[in-house]
Amino acid sequence: MKKPLSQSIIIASSLMLALLSGTLFADTAADITVSNAYVRATAPGQANSVAFMTLHNSSMQAYSLIDAEGQAAKAVELHTHIHENGMMKMRRINKIDLPAHGEVMLKPGGHHIMLIGLKQAAKKGDSIHLSLIFNDGSKKMLTVPVKGMTMQMGSMEHKNGGHDMHPSAPKKMDHNHMH
Amino acid sequence: MSKLNTAITVLTLGILMGWIVSTSMPTSDKPVTLPNAIAAAPTGGDFSLTSADGAFRLKDYRGKVVLIYFGYTFCSDICPTNLALMAQALNGMTENELAQVQALFVSVDPERDKVATLKKYAQHFHETMLGVTGSPTELAEIATRYGAAYRKIEGESEGGYLVDHSSNTYVIAPDGSLHTILPHATPAQEILKVTRKLLTES
Ligand SMILES: [Cu+2]
Repeated sequence: MKKPLSQSIIIASSLMLALLSGTLFADTAADITVSNAYVRATAPGQANSVAFMTLHNSSMQAYSLIDAEGQAAKAVELHTHIHENGMMKMRRINKIDLPAHGEVMLKPGGHHIMLIGLKQAAKKGDSIHLSLIFNDGSKKMLTVPVKGMTMQMGSMEHKNGGHDMHPSAPKKMDHNHMH
Repeated sequence: MSKLNTAITVLTLGILMGWIVSTSMPTSDKPVTLPNAIAAAPTGGDFSLTSADGAFRLKDYRGKVVLIYFGYTFCSDICPTNLALMAQALNGMTENELAQVQALFVSVDPERDKVATLKKYAQHFHETMLGVTGSPTELAEIATRYGAAYRKIEGESEGGYLVDHSSNTYVIAPDGSLHTILPHATPAQEILKVTRKLLTES
């Protein structure tokens, strides 16, 4: 059975279109490289976890991360922390800007991908599938390893204040105010 | 014009008076919803809360350094960070020092955090760490005395309410007094140093 030429052309062109649009959509995702991604292992009773990573935009164009998805949790949201008046305020945000030739870190005390209602505890050595969704609709799939606390602490100690966690000098109590 | 000015002055004075009265009123029964900032000069002091193994009374810990952190298990970044640092400090202690130190995680979210869960949660960070909570009234009263603030925020996230909270670690001296307040993400070495100093002084 030979297909009519017109039908073959239609099929071929739709295939080409699909490929083309595929590569077009993949552009943003291709311009963004993800490094040092990890999900924090949960403690017993901890229903949620967080994913941290460094996003590097190698293109001349600014992008933004507008959402993240994954099957591991009931909800996956973009969050940040606002350190204000001595309070830590965790808030949902609708995007994380990725400036041209820029690097954005999702890190403890700052931006993070929040995994709400984990379907199972995140254990060290596991990995979690996440998709990053960019402003042009393109997606980047990630397989993110789960890391224990102590490993992360090790790296935090080295930086020691080089991040946005505002560590400051301890406050000594004024003993005149004591009971 | 002058009538308007008078009206504005009266109104302003009224608001000011109202504000003065409301702020000078005792707020110990619901400090949680009002202050955004943390009250100055916290006094600390004894308290009693509930753990999975019965009552926790701070006064039973005279002679020990007690490290207190107020948080909630729903918190997946700030609280674990501070508890892990506290645990790391505990891991840096000698057996003898560790016997004179008690780490305490106080959940300000009793609605979601049950004592059985808190026990396992705290032990995950360090086997000696205790997890306690209490009634909203008890917690509010204790948090106020320690200058710990927290506030329930509804409708922000699909996971239910969030809790804005201060993230200090309170260091209680062996005499039961509030000695030092360590800010968020204080390195383990610093926690260890402060604790050690108190142990050698006493
Ligand atoms: Cu979050």
